[in-house]
Amino acid sequence: MQATDPDIQWVEPPKLGLGERMYLPLFLQGLTTTTKHLVSAKVTVSYPDQEPEIDNPLIYRGVHRLNRDEQGRVKCVACFLCATACPAHCIDILGVESPWEDREKYPESFTIDELRCIFCGMCEQACPVDAIELTSLYNLTGRSREEMIFDKEKLLSVYDATKDKEPMKSAQLPPVTTPSTATPSTATSTSPTEGGA
Amino acid sequence: MAIVLIDGQEIEIGDDERLNGIQVAARAGVEVPHYCWHPGLSVVASCRMCLVETGKRDADSGEISMLPKLVPGCQTPARDGTVFVTDSEKVRQARAMVEEDLLIRHPVDCPICDKAGECHLQDYHFEHGRPERRADIKPFHSRRRELGETVTLFVDRCVMCTRCVRFTREVSGDAELMVVHRGAHEEIDVFPGFPLENKLSGNVVDLCPVGALGDLDFLYSQRVWFMKQHASVCAGCSTGCSIQVEENQDRIHRLKPRENPHVNQWWMCDEGRYGWKYVHDNARCLAPQQKTEGAWQPLDWSDAPAVLHAALSGENCSPENSPPKNSNPKKRRLAAVLSPFLTVEEAYLLATYIRQYDENAVLALGRIPQAGADESFPNGFTIRAEKCPNRRGVEMLLSALTGDVLSWESFLEQAAETPFDAVWITGGYPPVNGNDGAGEDVASEEEKSLATELPAGLASSTLIVQDLFDSALWRQADIQLPSAAFVERSGSFVNAGNRLQSFEWAIRPPAGVMTEGQLYWRLLDRDGLYNARRVLEDVAREHIAFAAASGEIPATGRDLLLNQLV
Amino acid sequence: MLEPLIKIAVLLGGLMTAAAYFVLLERWIAAWVQDRLGPNRVGVPLTRIRLFGLGQPMADGGKFILKEEFMPAHVDKRLFLLAPISILAAALAVFAVIPFGSVLPASVYTLFGQDAATVASTEGPVPLVVAPGVDVGLLYVFALSSIAVYGVIVGGWASNNKYSFLGGLRSSAQLISYELPLGLAILSVVLASGSMNLDEIVHRQADSGVWFIFTQPLGFVVFVIAAFAEAARLPFDLPECEQELIGGYHTEYTGMKLLLFLVAEFLHMITAAFLIVLLFLGGWHIWGLAGPDEQVTWVGAVGRLIVLHLKVTGVIVFFMVVRWSWPRFRFDQLMALAWKVMLPLGMINLVAVAIFEELSLALQSQLGGWTLAISLLGSWLVCLGAWFGVAYATPMIGDNRVRKDIHTYEVDPQI
Ligand code: SF4
Ligand code: SF4
Ligand code: SF4
Ligand code: SF4
Ligand code: FES
Repeated sequence: MQATDPDIQWVEPPKLGLGERMYLPLFLQGLTTTTKHLVSAKVTVSYPDQEPEIDNPLIYRGVHRLNRDEQGRVKCVACFLCATACPAHCIDILGVESPWEDREKYPESFTIDELRCIFCGMCEQACPVDAIELTSLYNLTGRSREEMIFDKEKLLSVYDATKDKEPMKSAQLPPVTTPSTATPSTATSTSPTEGGA
Repeated sequence: MAIVLIDGQEIEIGDDERLNGIQVAARAGVEVPHYCWHPGLSVVASCRMCLVETGKRDADSGEISMLPKLVPGCQTPARDGTVFVTDSEKVRQARAMVEEDLLIRHPVDCPICDKAGECHLQDYHFEHGRPERRADIKPFHSRRRELGETVTLFVDRCVMCTRCVRFTREVSGDAELMVVHRGAHEEIDVFPGFPLENKLSGNVVDLCPVGALGDLDFLYSQRVWFMKQHASVCAGCSTGCSIQVEENQDRIHRLKPRENPHVNQWWMCDEGRYGWKYVHDNARCLAPQQKTEGAWQPLDWSDAPAVLHAALSGENCSPENSPPKNSNPKKRRLAAVLSPFLTVEEAYLLATYIRQYDENAVLALGRIPQAGADESFPNGFTIRAEKCPNRRGVEMLLSALTGDVLSWESFLEQAAETPFDAVWITGGYPPVNGNDGAGEDVASEEEKSLATELPAGLASSTLIVQDLFDSALWRQADIQLPSAAFVERSGSFVNAGNRLQSFEWAIRPPAGVMTEGQLYWRLLDRDGLYNARRVLEDVAREHIAFAAASGEIPATGRDLLLNQLV
Repeated sequence: MLEPLIKIAVLLGGLMTAAAYFVLLERWIAAWVQDRLGPNRVGVPLTRIRLFGLGQPMADGGKFILKEEFMPAHVDKRLFLLAPISILAAALAVFAVIPFGSVLPASVYTLFGQDAATVASTEGPVPLVVAPGVDVGLLYVFALSSIAVYGVIVGGWASNNKYSFLGGLRSSAQLISYELPLGLAILSVVLASGSMNLDEIVHRQADSGVWFIFTQPLGFVVFVIAAFAEAARLPFDLPECEQELIGGYHTEYTGMKLLLFLVAEFLHMITAAFLIVLLFLGGWHIWGLAGPDEQVTWVGAVGRLIVLHLKVTGVIVFFMVVRWSWPRFRFDQLMALAWKVMLPLGMINLVAVAIFEELSLALQSQLGGWTLAISLLGSWLVCLGAWFGVAYATPMIGDNRVRKDIHTYEVDPQI
């Protein structure tokens, strides 16, 4: 690329007034900002002495869970859309023909490497059947790497553990077709369960 | 010279070309969406997706008169002065209407549909459909019905293009598929007791523009967008169909035919389509070994040049120094058997290597696997009885090098008369108990015997065997070199019609295996990585039979008899 | 004999503790400025008593001591060891002449068993400085602070690492450049007080009741900015800047050796703070606490001690807050500031001080108390005038972008 390249946008720096060139106003401005913060309220949450407050579990992005359908089977249809959307490539699915009459395909195995996951929530957004969701469990720990690779059973057990406090998000969202009658979603539970799943 | 107008663009077509609206538009870079029309099948014009406006330009006045109604582009021949308009509001409306109609009864279970990602219904809907659905129909799951051993039908996903029906009538000729019921209840089905079973059945899955026909072998094994496509050539028989290998992370998931008017048109047989399984077989030979004092020792690829030098020349050379070239002071009698599974390039490199040691080394053609008889289909597609891809190529090379083609049988006779000092035998044959797509045992008697006993006459020689699978030869060898499958190698095959097709590797060989080309390349002390293109240039320059192979080889291959007085 | 030893012990202990706790303070201020809590966990070991994290310096020190003494293979071993030692030694030696209080009444000797009567007759008050009465005190401070740069350069060189080396280079260029304005500012103070003895200088301010910050505002500004640069504090911490040089000259150092560097850095800051307070802010003086040393009472002595240390702490807190208020200078800006702004300002200040001193001497007899007012007014006018002059001339604002008309070379589009 040359300096004369037409693609280069030449930006003129703003002209400084005399006050700015005196440095003093800017100096004081900087000092005021710092001093204000020096005495303002602190935002740190002293975990684990204090538990963080989760305002809205609907948009909190914690540990994943795999939802169950009405019959208690895994809701996932093994469409791989979450794995496709996942920027960290941490979802691994093995899709096979399902053993059930009314369903065509299901995940024989479904693993998420929680260590690789960046908790972006893309999987949740991608899922066409609302099968994968991010709960508000934030205290995720483990003693080995293997332990942090969640398989289908573990992900389903996260659902079992959290379903009462956090109903499926699709159930909480207002129906799209009739916005007039929709009740605003009420984020009921805020305190997370102890120790995760 | 006829001139056709596409959206105001003048396209010249040859006088004897018979093209329809879709084809001319494609030449102008305009894609006309279509379901039922396929270049390899007859025209029915039933889907109405390709509706365009058409008209005629008066040759003298240049005045254009359009037809009031839309016509299907697939059925409208392009002549001099024909005018097509593919982007008018009327045409767009028509396409949106067709899309909407198709989607009224469509399950839209794309998440679990194997076609999603390469589905025409999806693509056209994005491009030409209405942004929202007007009918309040919830997505549902499609009914499913098995059509045969290879293909399953998701009944509700079908758009009734009848491509599959026409294929079984016009190409495979068995006419198993048919349309049952009428009107909105139309469905594809087979007659009870007559399942879809012909040797080309897999093609209907490729033909189906939507996910109605599913390949049972591929079903749910991979989403299509995860796979990478590699142009390749089928090694199943000497037809040498142009194929596309679809793999993800060095694992093949399916093979598909690649259009090649000179070889396979749009089709391939089931035997080839499903015949790649041995590539990922656990029984494959993976480790080079060497027999020292009757015991097998693992052989490191980096020591291979020295060890092979010792085996061929009978002289030792320390592994540190690269073996001296052209040294065969003991005047040993050598032979190499070039398998019809080798590419032209590999055969040439191996022959060159052996001839470095013995200028008169005997070069023979490997065993030709045969199964049944050639089988031709109504439209000319042929499945050959010769189950190897490159017999012609190796033969041509052998006659160029030795003036004669020594067959495997005559080679064995020669060996029995006067044993060779060292013999290098290349293999690459699929496992002998291989079966075709339909599960029939196609292994010949000879193959079976080879698997168990060593041919007489080879017992006293130093045997270097390069093969994919275990066999009597492999077990008797003094040096075992695992070989790579066709999808792992690069080079060119010459098919039964003397057409040379080049291909590049699609997947990497399993750990421990070095491809033939790379090994020979290294044995010949060439720098860097094996480059099939450069070897083929050498072959084309040195041997008149391959003269046509110089320069870039087109994707559809090149006829070696081109410009040659045969 | 005993007296200096006790002073040294008190000073060393005090300085080391101060350095440790200033680290904590720095971390706290950093945290508070960023709306965090900062270190507040380490208190009494093995209990849950946290003491707002006051045990943190101990933990930090323990960590540094217990860490592996790693010596990279590619370094020059002797110089590598020498650098932290020399820098710390120089930083500590400076305090020999810096008064860390005013004086203690002579009765302090009685605490050590001497007879009160003899003390009263023979001994004067005890000056709170290790080496009292050094007439070239300022020169000594100046000389030793220049030696500190050797530690940095040697450390950067011995590390045999490009970042360290760059840090060392930057440091030498920066320190040499800023020593000039620093020297000019000190010179005007010396001129005004007529002494290089720090105690004398403070006394001069205390006696007249007018600190030099009032009579030499321009000198004060120049001195503070130069002191920031000399102590390599943000916005002038180019020798270390973590983001570009990942620590600069001490990139390769670990454990105790790194600790020595860090302590030396804090000592530099403490020295700078002391100098600012002593030279311009009246030292221990506060109105009402003046008076000759001989008459000092215990209350006065302790009061002076407290005042001095409060002032020093205040200046250090200012140092720390400044760190989070302004971004780092670019190196060319740093140099431009030194040579194009600070140096002329220092000279103007020196000339102005000389003129006012001379004038007030000459006019003292005629104008009496008005001389002070006139020189105060004059110095502030000079300060404002010089400041406007700098703002108007903007010697630091230069366009250093690529010039379209002359730069036609290819630039890799990937960078
Ligand atoms: S949250 Fe993001 S990174 Fe984690 S699994 Fe889902 S898509 Fe992947
Ligand atoms: S996107 Fe949803 S349905 Fe699809 S594989 Fe992921 S979890 Fe299963
Ligand atoms: S055929 Fe399959 S992929 Fe295509 S639209 Fe229908 S469900 Fe979706
Ligand atoms: S099954 Fe596929 S190819 Fe056959 S008619 Fe239906 S859509 Fe067309
Ligand atoms: S493609 Fe022309 S009508 Fe179907």
